[in-house]
Amino acid sequence: MNVAKLLRKLRYEKKLGSSQVELLLDLQERRIFSVHRELRFFLYIGILMIITGAGLTVKKYFINLGDAAIISALTLCFAAAFIYCFVQGRPYEKAEVASPNIAFDYILFFGCAFYSMDVAYIETQYHLLGDLWENYLLVSVALFFFLAYRFDNRLVLSLALSTLAAWFGFTLSAHRFYFENYYRLYAIAYALIVLCCGILLYRSAVKKHFLDIYLNFAAHFLCIALVSGVAEYKILSLYFPALLLACAALAFYSVKVRKFLYMLYAVIYGYIGISIVIVDQIHRQTFLLFTYFIVTSMLVIGLIFKLSRMFKED
Amino acid sequence: MTLNLYSPQQEENIYIRKRAKAWRRSGLITEEQLSAINGHADPQLRQTNLFFRILFFVFTLLGTGAVVGLFVWLLDFKDTSFIAAMLILFGAAFYMAADYLAGKYLLYRHGVEEALVIVAMVLFCAGCSILLSENHLTLTHIRIVVPALLAITACWIYLRFGLLYAAAISIVALSFIPFQFNLSPAAERIMLFSVLCVIFVFSLLADKPDLEDFRKNRYAKIKACLLAAMYLTVNLEILGFSGLLMRDTHVVHLNAQLFPPSIYWSSYVLTFLIPAASIYWGIKSRKRLIINVGLVMACVTLATNKSYLGWTRYAWDPAILGMILVGLSLLITRWLNSGADQRRFGFTAREILKPEEGGITPADMAAALTPGVIETQQPPAHPEEKYFGGGASGGGGAEGKY
Repeated sequence: MNVAKLLRKLRYEKKLGSSQVELLLDLQERRIFSVHRELRFFLYIGILMIITGAGLTVKKYFINLGDAAIISALTLCFAAAFIYCFVQGRPYEKAEVASPNIAFDYILFFGCAFYSMDVAYIETQYHLLGDLWENYLLVSVALFFFLAYRFDNRLVLSLALSTLAAWFGFTLSAHRFYFENYYRLYAIAYALIVLCCGILLYRSAVKKHFLDIYLNFAAHFLCIALVSGVAEYKILSLYFPALLLACAALAFYSVKVRKFLYMLYAVIYGYIGISIVIVDQIHRQTFLLFTYFIVTSMLVIGLIFKLSRMFKED
Repeated sequence: MTLNLYSPQQEENIYIRKRAKAWRRSGLITEEQLSAINGHADPQLRQTNLFFRILFFVFTLLGTGAVVGLFVWLLDFKDTSFIAAMLILFGAAFYMAADYLAGKYLLYRHGVEEALVIVAMVLFCAGCSILLSENHLTLTHIRIVVPALLAITACWIYLRFGLLYAAAISIVALSFIPFQFNLSPAAERIMLFSVLCVIFVFSLLADKPDLEDFRKNRYAKIKACLLAAMYLTVNLEILGFSGLLMRDTHVVHLNAQLFPPSIYWSSYVLTFLIPAASIYWGIKSRKRLIINVGLVMACVTLATNKSYLGWTRYAWDPAILGMILVGLSLLITRWLNSGADQRRFGFTAREILKPEEGGITPADMAAALTPGVIETQQPPAHPEEKYFGGGASGGGGAEGKY
């Protein structure tokens, strides 16, 4: 039996309405074919390419173009995007608000990216704030948070959270990847702040659907920082129990809300942390090392198998 | 006779359940109606969700790797032939374990049997390659035989377990073979293109209108992969990009200009023909994946067009391509929305089936990386240092020494 036959059977059994079956058959036999996702995908890729192209042009031709032309062009672009969003956007609501049109989310994102580019260019060339340059980042974070909540935009919220991470010192520049002790503490602080914000806003029923973005940022920053702490200090620090606690919390939350992405994080980060400690304890004993990986992988498989049976996820 | 471990009806039932889940998510059916559909389409197989599947896969890989490592370490072999034989034996054992688990415990895409079968394939091929090298076969022969063996075993796994990525591995392994015959680069490309075309024709012949829905869906995915592989074979400028990045312009494959003009311009024409044909065919047969692959290939063609024609590249080229994409997307949306019932020829820009919520999407991740990209694109301060000294700026507004 295929989908069409089953739908007709259910209509005959009066478990599905006629109009419902017609719509489902139209979808199944592709008489109705939605290209919504494709259009969104190409809009987003297009916007990302415009941002990249604009950035490269500024980088390569900034001497020829001149500061005035660059700053005014970037300002004009982001101002136009923001004005469009405020004119076309739907009124603010605490609950999820659908975008007024397919391009709306991307226009707002484009505006935010051009705003960042503009401010970054002004700061690079003029150093208006001198040593207090980081404050630009905080202003950007505040603006992006406001826009993300005002227009219910996940992309801008991600932008806000990563800009906040940049304020804490985490950027894509190579030398930023070193996990010195103070960076580790900043990462933990960042994760806890993001987590608290996310939970508070969720509890206040403000854009509850944003919680996952907060949790993803917080989980990765926290767990990576704790794993790096375990790698440096092994069992002799608070990082190890903190990592176990964080992973247990993730696993508990995952089971509670039945979102198993967090279980994946909990198991992977937890296993890495525990393995670092155990491997350190059985240093240079190859037999124990192999045995450890055999036994623990079987244990994890058994545990996940039990969990998967418990939830009968398909 | 079917080689597949699962019956067509079982796989069709899984496909029906997936569709029903998408309808429920999109509010097209109620919870009771979903239960009714599920009641009629019980595959009687054990499945799990994507995240558990990843965990099963990763930890099975780890466990099997450790078992092989422990065994090799304990026995401390010196004889390479014996090691090869052991690897083949382990491969056979893991394959049998996967087959047994899938058959006895009715596991379907459960991660465990997938990892076992992939490890089995790798061990078997590694063992065979060691045996071949021990038996005085030349390096060229080994380079031909091992990918061929990998292609055959991956194809077997696809036929037995229905794993689509095994089919993809098989195609990739097959694609390595033409490059091992010491042919001219043009002949290598022509040979590979011909092989892919033959497989594509076979996949077209296999796709009959009376097939089950799940099989049609699977063949569409394979055809999309083959089209992408064919396109990558004919587009000589894609590897040219990597040549530029590696600053290596002497290797012919990395420098398209070194190909004979007839091949070069034929490939240029094909870079337009393949995406156009894919989009046309995808729209006509309403195959989403074929349309998507065609559109992505068309974008790549636009991106490599200047390189083919030898035109100067400018920093604003990505922005122009981006504007074209945005403009086209908006035009198509408007055109579709202005049709009767927001539809034209059955195509609509409305969102009918909602995607599965996965916590964080690739789009969110790309947005999160944007400040970093903006930071790396900042020009240095003016050379004459006309304002103040030093510093650099970045993401979301600034950057500097922390």
